[in-house]
Amino acid sequence: MALNLKRKHDGDVEPRKTRRLSDDEADADPKTEGLELEEDDEKWGGIAPIQDQTTVAAESTIPGTKPKKPPTGEELRVINDAKDLFQSSTFKLQIDALLPNIRPKAAKIPPLDRFLQDLHGILMGLSPVAPQHPLEASRKLIKKGISVAYCLPQPSEDTNWKVAFEKPSDITLVGSWPNKISVKGKDGSKFGVDLAIEMPSNIFQEKDYLNGRFFHKRAFYLATLAAGIQDSKTGLNVELTYESASNDPRLTKLILEPRKDDSPNDFTKLNARVCIIPVLSTNSPIPLHRLSPSHSNIRISSESDTVSVPTPLYNSALLTALMPKTHLLSTFAVKEHTPSFPDALGLLRVWANQRGYGEGSRMCVRGFDNLGAWWAVLLGLLIFGEEPKGKGHRRKPLGRGLSSYQLFRAALDFLSRHDFEKEAAFHKAKDGHRFPPDEYQAHHEVVCVDSSSTVNMLAGVPLGSLHLLQNDARKTLEKLNGAPIGTDPFADVFLKEQRDLSTRFDTVIRVDISSAKPRSPLLHSTLDIGSPANALISSIAALLHQGLGNRTKAITILHPSPSTRPLSQALPTNPDVLYIGLIHDPHNAFRLVDHGPAAEESDPTIAEHFRDFWGDKAELRRFKDGRIIESVVWDIKSTDERSHVPAMIVQHVLHRHFGLEDAAAVQSWQGGFDEVVKLPEVVSRVYTGSGAVVGFKGAMIAFDGLVRELKALNEDLPLSLSNVSAASEYLRYTSVFSPVPLSASLAPSLPQNARYLPSMEMVLQFEKSAKWPDDLRAIQKIKLAFFERVASALMVSVAGLKAAVVVGDGVSTSAIQDSSRLEIVTPDGWAFSARIWHDREATLLDRLIVGKNVLPHINVPWEKKKGKEYQEAVDAKELYVRRFIHAPRHHRAVAVLHHRYPAYSPTVRLVKRWLASHWVMHGHVSEEAVEILCASFFVGDGRDLSVDPENQIAERASVPGSKERGFATVIEFLKDWKWEDGLFVPLYGGASSESLQPPTATASRAGVWRVSTEADKEGHAWTMHGPDVMVAHRIRALAKATWNCLHGMEEGKLDVKSMFIHPTDDYDFIVRMDPTVLPRYAQNIDSSLTTSGKYANLPRDDSPVPPRPGFDPAQLLYDDLQRVYADTFKIFCDPFGGDRFGAVWDPTLKQPRPFRVLGGFSSVPVKKGKEKDKDKGLVVLNEAGVLGEIERLGIGLVSGITVQV
Amino acid sequence: MSLPNSVAGFSVLPVSYTGTSTHYIYARPHAGSKKSVSQILPDGRTLFLVNVPPDATERELVLLFKGSGTVEKVVFGLDAQESLVEPDDSDDEDEEELDAEETTIDTAEAVAQPRKRRKLNKPAAPTVVPLPSKSLRRLRNTGRSAHVVFLDASSLERALVPQPKTRPWPSSEEPSGLAHYAALHDALRPPLDIVRAHADSAMELYEFELKQTKQKAQYRKGEAIVDEDGFTLVTRGGAYGQTLGGGVAVASKKFQESGQTRARNKKKEPKEKAGFYAFQKAEKQRNDLMELKKNWEADKAKVEKLKASRRFKPY
Repeated sequence: MALNLKRKHDGDVEPRKTRRLSDDEADADPKTEGLELEEDDEKWGGIAPIQDQTTVAAESTIPGTKPKKPPTGEELRVINDAKDLFQSSTFKLQIDALLPNIRPKAAKIPPLDRFLQDLHGILMGLSPVAPQHPLEASRKLIKKGISVAYCLPQPSEDTNWKVAFEKPSDITLVGSWPNKISVKGKDGSKFGVDLAIEMPSNIFQEKDYLNGRFFHKRAFYLATLAAGIQDSKTGLNVELTYESASNDPRLTKLILEPRKDDSPNDFTKLNARVCIIPVLSTNSPIPLHRLSPSHSNIRISSESDTVSVPTPLYNSALLTALMPKTHLLSTFAVKEHTPSFPDALGLLRVWANQRGYGEGSRMCVRGFDNLGAWWAVLLGLLIFGEEPKGKGHRRKPLGRGLSSYQLFRAALDFLSRHDFEKEAAFHKAKDGHRFPPDEYQAHHEVVCVDSSSTVNMLAGVPLGSLHLLQNDARKTLEKLNGAPIGTDPFADVFLKEQRDLSTRFDTVIRVDISSAKPRSPLLHSTLDIGSPANALISSIAALLHQGLGNRTKAITILHPSPSTRPLSQALPTNPDVLYIGLIHDPHNAFRLVDHGPAAEESDPTIAEHFRDFWGDKAELRRFKDGRIIESVVWDIKSTDERSHVPAMIVQHVLHRHFGLEDAAAVQSWQGGFDEVVKLPEVVSRVYTGSGAVVGFKGAMIAFDGLVRELKALNEDLPLSLSNVSAASEYLRYTSVFSPVPLSASLAPSLPQNARYLPSMEMVLQFEKSAKWPDDLRAIQKIKLAFFERVASALMVSVAGLKAAVVVGDGVSTSAIQDSSRLEIVTPDGWAFSARIWHDREATLLDRLIVGKNVLPHINVPWEKKKGKEYQEAVDAKELYVRRFIHAPRHHRAVAVLHHRYPAYSPTVRLVKRWLASHWVMHGHVSEEAVEILCASFFVGDGRDLSVDPENQIAERASVPGSKERGFATVIEFLKDWKWEDGLFVPLYGGASSESLQPPTATASRAGVWRVSTEADKEGHAWTMHGPDVMVAHRIRALAKATWNCLHGMEEGKLDVKSMFIHPTDDYDFIVRMDPTVLPRYAQNIDSSLTTSGKYANLPRDDSPVPPRPGFDPAQLLYDDLQRVYADTFKIFCDPFGGDRFGAVWDPTLKQPRPFRVLGGFSSVPVKKGKEKDKDKGLVVLNEAGVLGEIERLGIGLVSGITVQV
Repeated sequence: MSLPNSVAGFSVLPVSYTGTSTHYIYARPHAGSKKSVSQILPDGRTLFLVNVPPDATERELVLLFKGSGTVEKVVFGLDAQESLVEPDDSDDEDEEELDAEETTIDTAEAVAQPRKRRKLNKPAAPTVVPLPSKSLRRLRNTGRSAHVVFLDASSLERALVPQPKTRPWPSSEEPSGLAHYAALHDALRPPLDIVRAHADSAMELYEFELKQTKQKAQYRKGEAIVDEDGFTLVTRGGAYGQTLGGGVAVASKKFQESGQTRARNKKKEPKEKAGFYAFQKAEKQRNDLMELKKNWEADKAKVEKLKASRRFKPY
């Protein structure tokens, strides 16, 4: 064997030894190897020795030993290297801390070595089995409980060749273990110690490459080995199982897992397993040239007359039997050449494992479960460069001086840029291409050929998996490049689990393929691919790719990685359930029409093929420009459904080509998410029936119309209107429900409790004038006069319009605060509420806040006047800034985001709905805060906001492409957001236009969240009043629970609605309300509406006409209770038609305390225990009394109060 | 039921609500502060109540004490002024008046102020047309206080006598609950002509007051501020960046706002040129290196800390 190796690697740097298991060499080898390594290191002076020195340096600078000493030259080099060669010095230190954790523990290795020696003895001592008929041979083995994994085409009775066994001609440790580059797997999976058992050449014949004969012989050989190990009386206490890479029976290997018995060769503690892989020796009779990708090596007798079809995957599977040893050597060569290679590989594989490219118990990316060797090939490709293939540019080798981090980044960079679909990658090989490079591209989907230049490492890996890899690489690079100062991307890149389907894919579809019946037979591909299930999956991938075209950036198939099976089971069990994950391309994903070939196409087969693919969906259509084209049109009922188009295509393809249609077989969750932001059917039917323009579009049209009318009023007003800006979530696409009008004609046909008319806020600005009074109270009065003038003029100019002046909010008593507004209801039934922004108010309020001091004009900062007037002015100022400065600006920014990122506003709507349905939205978290929070996942660092939206820049990979993914991302963030750290969102395109704002007098601030933008550096404009600490903790807990719920997706038992149902067990008491009087009850998450009135045939006439805009008594009662009992309990509600309030008592009030006049809560005197007791005047909270008051305050609304213990 | 009849000097008045629950009001004769004898709350016949129901109206309190005697008036929420030892004379009275006139907000205030000024100035001020106000409940915070002024002192005593049975909480005709909110919604949207009349008259009043104050204070910009000793206070605020009264230049705006002067001669020439002597260079270099090392050590410590929390186990 050693001879063989030498011959093969003639001309190599030097023929390195492979670590052999034979006799004494096994002990001697590691030492010499280690020694050599050290020598080399010193010569190079590369990265590896530096790490050693770091530890030395660390030891030498123990505090106490001359801290003032300047760093030595060596230390200096370490420090500078860390800064220059890594992201930052912390990053380097973190990498150093990470790497030891992913390697096997050296102290636990010796038992394994002893075990391998024993195993070597056993294997070499196995007795030969005489040639016999394959079926006969397998029958004999079955008696021992071992079945032979014969693959397709299976041998039959009239097979005329024989299987045999002879002791292996060589046994070698291969793979990552002997090179010491093993990386711990995900979910506690074991280190793999690959043992290549070379089958002697004399049991093979030249024609064995045909019809799977090689694989049959291999399977028998493996089974005999298994029998030998099992039978041996030498006492190897191991569990023997089969495992097939990618569930391909041709690639079956034998797994040896130790049982715990504390014997000297029990290596259970190492968490490793030995994999026995039968390999072919290089001088076997099987001719290599027969295995090029274009050769056909499966002949099926029935169709012998047809042209033979190439079997690239079959050939590739056969070639892998030759590969292990050459790989070992080439990887070793890379390791010798580039000192940072092992660490870089470690980083890369940790990164990949965290993202499901590898084995694991959760969903793994298809095709990557057996691709451990590919990562090393990938790095080798980058280091040594590419084998030139004809014309075109060649990737330049990177050389060996790179640090591990730089190499890792280079790999990500390659992954993110390389076009796997079109370009092949060839590792630099010593003697050029073995097979013509074009053949690979013609017959494989993806090509990456290793250094032996025979095996396509990516054979059988679906293109979609690589697209996902590309996407992940992009995402990570974005994170590494765009990390703002002070944040550390390390955890995100290496430590965080990223396999969650919901945050990774825009659309997730669960498919149960157990009942799939392919429309066209997959006979040939089954033989090529190796098993019917794999052929089915690859056919699904190919057809989906064809169906979705450029709508998606990646179509990935995921399933759990293959598991071991008992020896009695010949063929691997295939997963029944697949997950299809789509990443949308936002520009094309939601296209409604797919064009096929034109009608005048000369070749009829093209059109035929198109029709065959789409089935009855394909139609011949004539377009406006005169073309007549075969096309497919996806019809949708509402704009919300537009985002379902990709999922609809997947469902159609699965239905048409695989006969999968029922909901149990193909499951997606989009409908459930849509359901929660949709009005009930009863209500929406009325609107669609009426033909009114509803939704955001209708609201925008109504707003624009109103603005036009207002501008036209200029003659009737003393000052002309200079600006009208909207500031309402209904006009920036972010309200939970799409807005609907409520006109007098529509109202009667709607159920009583679906007649809520939201009023949309807008801000009017008049031209500047000196005529405004210079007094806050007078300004408020003159606003009334303006409103009155506008109202009367509007009512004259627009027939049917109703306008009213609202003189206050019924709560605030401040005369200096802006409180009046103009309420307009358009003839179509849209309600607006306008306020006047007068900028002089700010100056006047500031004067009140700053106050008059001894020196009239000089503000002495350390002295503040704290009176009633001061407090009033501070409150008024806060309201003014929020209402007139922040709100319109925020509105504009958010409206821009809606146009920029299609998934943004649906995400906001879902998140708002979620918060609301968990009773924390109204009164705790403001709408604007949610909008900014959600925006942070879309704008990134805000750089692409400042770019002109017209020239389409490359979309960042981390931008969610669907509301479901956006929602999951926000939930994931909320579940472990440390709000003390704050969150900065460049909402306005990174350019901080505002100069520093004067220090605002901060009133008492309840909110703990800090969400800052360029315009609001302090980050409290929208989180001033909440959520407070308690609510913030509650949101975190709720997010955690919801996140766990989202995980249910992977078992297929996610019920979307259940994430929006609020658990009420934690509340002290629940106030129930009568749903029939709540005008918003229709919006309740599980509302049950009655369609008609008492009598089916009579129209309902119980409605107060006209409807009251913005009138929601539940909300008013909630606000009153929150205000009146602010110090008694905390109250929560769902603003969207919630029919319950939940509240928690302030626990401190339940303790008896001395009576105080200003106690501020309703109390009851504590009963005296005995007459003698001294009257201490203790009182305690009067719970029953308060509940009685609530019932009285809400008479007509409250139907009952439940006290929970 | 051995509830105490009094707590900390207050008699306990149990009031039963419609359900089974009982509310407790604490009552005490009002004791005005010695400094100012208030006409609004005369000693001797004023009852001080604590823990009035949040939705109580004047009428309801009148009805509650009907058995004790005739109530002259009810004043809500004076606790703040009463408890603070310094009654701030006129201002408070203003507010008392305001609160006492327990109808709607804007009008009350708008009316309350001019009335006082009218006394000072001879020419009659225009009156403000009030916005129409239905009688609506005003919800106050829970556990607040109120004063009930009886017609005579004997009623006060009767009110404080413990009752054999709990009185039911009366209810007045003001709507509550759903009806209250509906009424409030409508009341906040008065007819346009009344809004107009109100706004116009309020503006008239404002103009009138402005004229009054102007007459009193003459022209603001021209007047220099001179104190008793004859010193002129130099301040900003005159036209064209000069003082009131003119002549002297004024402190910068920055000084006014911060009370601090800007350091003069910000750029002082350093005495020695940096890097002139070899030792300076060497020292600088050394310091830079020290700094580098310090940061490195700090980073290392940080990572060590993270390591201690077992953070670097990726899975």
